[in-house]
Formats: sequence, C-alpha cells, structure tokens
Amino acid sequence: MLHPHRGVPVTGRKEEAGWDAVQIAPGDHVAVALRDLSGTVRVRCGDEILSVALREPIPLGHKFALSDLSEGDEVLKYGAPIGRLTRPVAAGEHVHIHNLRSQRARAA
Amino acid sequence: MAEKTFLGFPRRSGRAGVRNHLLILGINGLIGAAAGRVAAALPGSKLVATPYGRGQFGPDKDCHFRQLVGIGANPNIGAVLIVGVDRKSADEVANAIAARSPALIEVLTLDDTHEDALELTARAIRLGARLAREISRARRKPISMADLYIGLECGHSDASSGLAANPLAGALADRLVDAGGTAVIGETIEWLGAEHALRHRGAVPETGEAIVRAVAAREAAVTAAGVDLLGNNPGAENIRGGLSTIEEKSLGAVAKAGSRPVAGLLPFAEPPAKAGLYLMDGPSFSPESMTGFVASGTQMILFTTGPGNSYCSLLAPTIKISANPTAHEHVRDQLDFDAGDVFQARETLDAAADRLFAGMVGFASGTLTWGEAVGEGSECFTRIGASL
Repeated sequence: MLHPHRGVPVTGRKEEAGWDAVQIAPGDHVAVALRDLSGTVRVRCGDEILSVALREPIPLGHKFALSDLSEGDEVLKYGAPIGRLTRPVAAGEHVHIHNLRSQRARAA
Repeated sequence: MAEKTFLGFPRRSGRAGVRNHLLILGINGLIGAAAGRVAAALPGSKLVATPYGRGQFGPDKDCHFRQLVGIGANPNIGAVLIVGVDRKSADEVANAIAARSPALIEVLTLDDTHEDALELTARAIRLGARLAREISRARRKPISMADLYIGLECGHSDASSGLAANPLAGALADRLVDAGGTAVIGETIEWLGAEHALRHRGAVPETGEAIVRAVAAREAAVTAAGVDLLGNNPGAENIRGGLSTIEEKSLGAVAKAGSRPVAGLLPFAEPPAKAGLYLMDGPSFSPESMTGFVASGTQMILFTTGPGNSYCSLLAPTIKISANPTAHEHVRDQLDFDAGDVFQARETLDAAADRLFAGMVGFASGTLTWGEAVGEGSECFTRIGASL
C-alpha cells in the first residue's frame, strides 16, 4: 500500500538540502524538481544521491526521467502508474503532457 | 502536540462553534435579492441564498434540501433567519435544522406579508437584529479537540502539493483523529488512480468497496460523456505546476487523508455518524466540494494549494496552506501557513504538522484567516439533476 508520507524528504536540518530533486518512491521512473533546474543535478533516491544530466531545463515541481524509457512504457510516481509514454524518453528529459498520457477515464 | 483544547462557542447540543454567526438563509431563488437586502442591513451577518428552490425533483431535490439544512445546522451558526417564499417549505427547512442544531431560528416568508417583498425585508431586519444581539451574549470557552470536524480540500494543486502540503494536511488529520476529532476529504474524481491506496483503508471492507464503486461511477460518467479529463482535471494551473494526468494528481491528493482508517463514505453534504476520518462522494470544484463539507458540519477547512488559490468558505474559516516557495513570494498575504520548508527538505513533516496543529487551534479560537480579514468567502449549491 502506498504510504502517503513515504519519500517526503526529511532532514530536520536548517541548511540547504543536499539535493535538487527527489524520487518519491523506490522504483519511480521520474524525479520531481525542488527548484527550477538545469545542467547536472543531484537526485535523492532513497538513501542515495544520484547525479543526473538534464537534457532541458526542468521547472520547479516538474518531473524528469531517471532512465531511458520506451514509447508505451507505464510511468511510475509515488510507486504507482501515472500514465503511459506516447514516445521514447531519455534519462534527464522532461516528462509531461507532451509525452505522457493518462490511462483512465478515456473514451473507448 | 500540546494543545488539548481550543476556545469555541459551546452549544446546548452537538459540536461547538469556532465562530458564532447570524446566518440569513434565503431558501428560494425568488427572494434571493430580498435576503441580500436583509443581510446588507445587518453588518456581520452571513448571507447564503440559493438561486434554486422550485422545479427540482428526486435525488436532486433531496440533495438541495440537505445542503440548505446542513448549512443552517453548521455549528458555526448561532442563529438562522430563514427567508422564504411559502410558509410550508420554509417550515420544513426550519424543522429539519432544529432537529440537528440548537441554533436560534426565525422564519419569514412572502406568505406572511401578502407577497410584499419590502415588508418582508423590513420585518426580517427587525428579527435579524434581535437574533444578532441575542447570540452576541455567547462567550468562548475551552472545548475539547474531539469537538472539531475539519474538511480537507485542495485547489490549484501543483507538484509541491502531493509532495508536501497534502501529506502535511494528512499528518494534521491523523493528529486530529487521534485526539478524538473528525476529518473529511472529498472530490471523488481525485481518487481516480489512487484506489489501491484507499481500498484497504476502510475500517470495514465494505467501505473500501464503496469508495472504489464511487470512483468507478464518476469515471463511467466522464467516459460516457466522451470528455477528456486533460485540461479539465488536471486543469491549466495543475499542468503549469507539473501535474500531467489525473492519476498523478490523485496520488498526491489522497495524501490529505493521512493514514488512519476510513470510518465511512459519506453521501454529498451528509453529516458523519461518529468521530474519525471520512471520505465524501462529491464534486471536485472547490466551491461545491467545500459547501458539501460545511453542510456536513465542518467548522473549519484546511485548503492546500500550489501557486495560491483565493477561494474560501463563507461559514467555515479556511486555512490556506502552500508548500510552493514561489507562492509565498507572490501571494504571501493570501496564505495562512507556509509549508515551503517541508517541500525543500528544511523542515520535517512532523515538525510542520505540530506547527500547523497549533495554528489551527489559533484559528479555531478566533484568529482571523486571510479570507476572513478581507471578507472573502461564499457557499455554492450543487445540482445533480435536471430541472422540471
């Protein structure tokens, strides 16, 4: 079961957090930008900090792929599917309405 | 978590009020303007006037009646002045409010004034002034947190909502439920894609199944209408904030429900039978959803947003929370709580929830929300069927 608090970055420290984006749940294909991002960024994935080279600027709150993904792939965020890719997406690429479609409430 | 009580207005029965309003309740669209004149003549009174009241039938009529009665019976209402057209329907509303609430009630209709709307106005102002003076004698006293019933709403969500503001609202709901209080989340379409997270939350298995059926019914209605949710829900502000699909928005939205068992699925505008966490099967547009909460009896609403969202309930003080750091630059004065440090990992969720709980006790005890300070707020009636 999805735990709503899981993945919320918690350090309790007052200084700037040591990462720019977070993978909310283990296995998620995307990370969320904590500020407007570009270039190479630090992504918190569980207890690890990974380095990802962004292929384009990612605005605060938007998400980018953590690995190369194929057209038709189901994308996980919060450990759950949030839609399918309508085209291939490379690691560090913006994932949004131009390449991701809902699988729900779609007319036949 | 230190706070065990808030300062509220005790009622002879039912929950205490966090406010003590005189409500001018227009129950028929034909006298909405007259009800408005009455409220304008009574500073400090709150006006709710339905544009409907005739030509409704079946579940739609029942739903409208439930909203009128629930609004009048909200614990924040010390007295209700019902302004109607015919005596019979006005008395029905008055009796139903009296069955749920100890509020003072007066009724005036066009039947009582031979259809003279100006005489109705003059007599209603006199009645309303008496009620206002009477309820002003009430004083706040310490009230157990178990008496608090809050609605959890989100509007103009962005990715910071699902990551920080909504989990924070959920942590607050957990604290309130643990203190014996009650909380509700609604907006059924925003459970779509998160059914797996809700199905097993039911205190009894039937509740989980009822939740899944409610989502399926909304999804079927959307599909049958051939509507694409993209651009509607998620809407333009959601998309600008990084949310791409209804599933993604829902997975963030249901974090408002915290982690305690769901005591039941409420029909729209229905009050809960017991304390605990509830889901309400209702519309996702905030003005409609929040009026469903108010009619259900919530004294306050916690409203999470990404970039900001100015809408407030008229009758339930609405606490605006954002975790988006840029929102606090742009609309600082329209927010009541800054959760930006949670989003940027500078404050723990628990620390922020303790801070929010203390803030909520303050607002419950009389501190003005931004919306109250500027008079922002309305109630919005939901229709679920065609008119005759």
